[in-house]
Amino acid sequence: MILLGFIDDVLDIPWRVKLLLPTIAALPLLMAYAGGTSIIIPKPLASYVGVEVLELGWMYKLFMLLLAVFCTNSINIHAGLNGLEVGQTVVISAAVLIHNVMRIGSSKDLETQQAHAFSIYLVLPFLTTSLALLGFNWYPSSVFVGDTYTYFAGMTLAVVGILGHFSETLLLFFLPQVLNFLCSVPQLFHFVPCPRHRLPRFDTQTGLLTGTKDGNLVNIFLRLFGKCSEKSLCIRLLIFQAVSCLFCFWLRYMLTGWYK
Amino acid sequence: LHLTPGPPPMDVRRRPGAAAADRPTKSRPAAAAAAAPAAAPGDLVLRPPNLRLVLAAMALFLAPFSYLAFVHYPLAADLRRSILICGAISLGGFFVVLRLIPVAARYLLRRGMFGKDINKKGLPMGEITVPESLGIVVGIVYLVIAILFQHFNFTADSIWLVEYNAALASVCFMILLGFIDDVLDIPWRVKLLLPTIAALPLLMAYAGGTSIIIPKPLASYVGVEVLELGWMYKLFMLLLAVFCTNSINIHAGLNGLEVGQTVVISAAVLIHNVMRIGSSKDLETQQAHAFSIYLVLPFLTTSLALLGFNWYPSSVFVGDTYTYFAGMTLAVVGILGHFSETLLLFFLPQVLNFLCSVPQLFHFVPCPRHRLPRFDTQTGLLTGTKDGNLVNIFLRLFGKCSEKSLCIRLLIFQVNLNCILAVNFIFL
Repeated sequence: MILLGFIDDVLDIPWRVKLLLPTIAALPLLMAYAGGTSIIIPKPLASYVGVEVLELGWMYKLFMLLLAVFCTNSINIHAGLNGLEVGQTVVISAAVLIHNVMRIGSSKDLETQQAHAFSIYLVLPFLTTSLALLGFNWYPSSVFVGDTYTYFAGMTLAVVGILGHFSETLLLFFLPQVLNFLCSVPQLFHFVPCPRHRLPRFDTQTGLLTGTKDGNLVNIFLRLFGKCSEKSLCIRLLIFQAVSCLFCFWLRYMLTGWYK
Repeated sequence: LHLTPGPPPMDVRRRPGAAAADRPTKSRPAAAAAAAPAAAPGDLVLRPPNLRLVLAAMALFLAPFSYLAFVHYPLAADLRRSILICGAISLGGFFVVLRLIPVAARYLLRRGMFGKDINKKGLPMGEITVPESLGIVVGIVYLVIAILFQHFNFTADSIWLVEYNAALASVCFMILLGFIDDVLDIPWRVKLLLPTIAALPLLMAYAGGTSIIIPKPLASYVGVEVLELGWMYKLFMLLLAVFCTNSINIHAGLNGLEVGQTVVISAAVLIHNVMRIGSSKDLETQQAHAFSIYLVLPFLTTSLALLGFNWYPSSVFVGDTYTYFAGMTLAVVGILGHFSETLLLFFLPQVLNFLCSVPQLFHFVPCPRHRLPRFDTQTGLLTGTKDGNLVNIFLRLFGKCSEKSLCIRLLIFQVNLNCILAVNFIFL
């Protein structure tokens, strides 16, 4: 993914092909995946579905693929402010690490423990190296991260989610990215005009950003909470990311035993 | 052949926010790209690929291999089946690369990754901006083929899966670092480090034996028949990777030389593999050489597609991306297939070239930027300089000749040495 992301940054690949890149990059994962392809039906739904454990077979691999494509591209489009791309990734990674250690501590199943340990080993170096980048990328940015970083980040998180067997939880951590994607759908699929950059308007006099009508969290936050500086807006979005993760932990705690 | 210097294209500039891309001078020790001051890319001049040459080469190189695999040696049925599947996918890869190179060439040229052909300097052809780093196309298609092939061959619990994926990880890492080198023009001291980094997955995953068999005549001197090397074996693996990548990189500079030498070595490797499978009774050895076949066959076909565009006169240049990728692929199969000594024998021209280059590379003797021959625009012939590489030595030994003939002579040299060594093996 790093290779393809870097090639994208160098050659400026058209967006239709861009969507294909995470698919290609996820192939080793799909080929090597030897784990179970069944999902546990949440208890309340089990009576409707008929079984407690549903064997998905190839559809599970398709889900893995879609997860990789989603994670990479959703981080890529929730961007545009100094430090936003790395910041959101760092928050999600921290949440993943905490989730991993909580699952290891509360699970008696060796397989589960190993899966989450595997995830820790991949996310810990990812978190620290990303923080180093954030040192240069935080407002005001001395460097930009490129598609190389956003694709690399998305793939790393998708990979640990898949191989660590916690992809549903990962998607919950990605809630802001999911919301951002849903809001962006009208423009991305050209139901509505889509400008080249869906960024806010910058006022040189006040130094504040004003929200445009574009459908992404950056502009929606500006329209909801008023004009603010780029740095404050980024911090607000990152707080939103952190709160979402906390909400996710709370949700899992509340639902444990009830749905799984 | 027309020459239309286009207006400086506005889209050489990167996306807003990033620094403007004034493509810096491309400087590579022995590539055929000129180190001329950065010019704007002209129009893309892409001749149709030389399919006759390439298909003839494919037939020539794969015929002995196919004969040995399917007629001469009584190979197991599922081994033959796997080789056939691999061959089919590889052939598909050949056509995909043929199709993708023109597309990639446009993008690469537009984004400033191009060079000029030094060996045609002074002619109109020497003014054409030739897209660089087309090795990236071969690399990506090769990786996809190799990744997909797993599905057809290895079961989920196969012990070979780990080594296979470690091999692919090393190759992928090398393609990444090679491409970064082409884009950023990394200083040569760091360049030596790149194959070391790329070989790490291989070193980490290598779970095979770390002992070597002492040749019988020397056994009495050494004292043992089998010498356990331990960590020194891993060091040797690392050095092999560094050597293979860099030796191909410096034995370059003529249209088609980099890909040509690689294709010859790959064909020799394939023949060696099938000969060893046929003549060995040890299952482990057979699997090791089959493993090598599965990795080299797609490499050979995708490289031939590149050769279609890179053979004289080159429409595209291959870049360090290709030479590093090639060296690493061959080193990887040599290591994991347990035939690294034989691989080094196939690399004999590269070894000779390296030895001759040592005085200049280590600055005992002055080392110019490009150690290429002198091109005479009147006669169209190359004259050897005093540089210490096979390209110039051949010119000094055998007299002036055209670039195409010189390349053919060097490739025949490669073929001869490889054949002699491969054939010799029968008698060992």
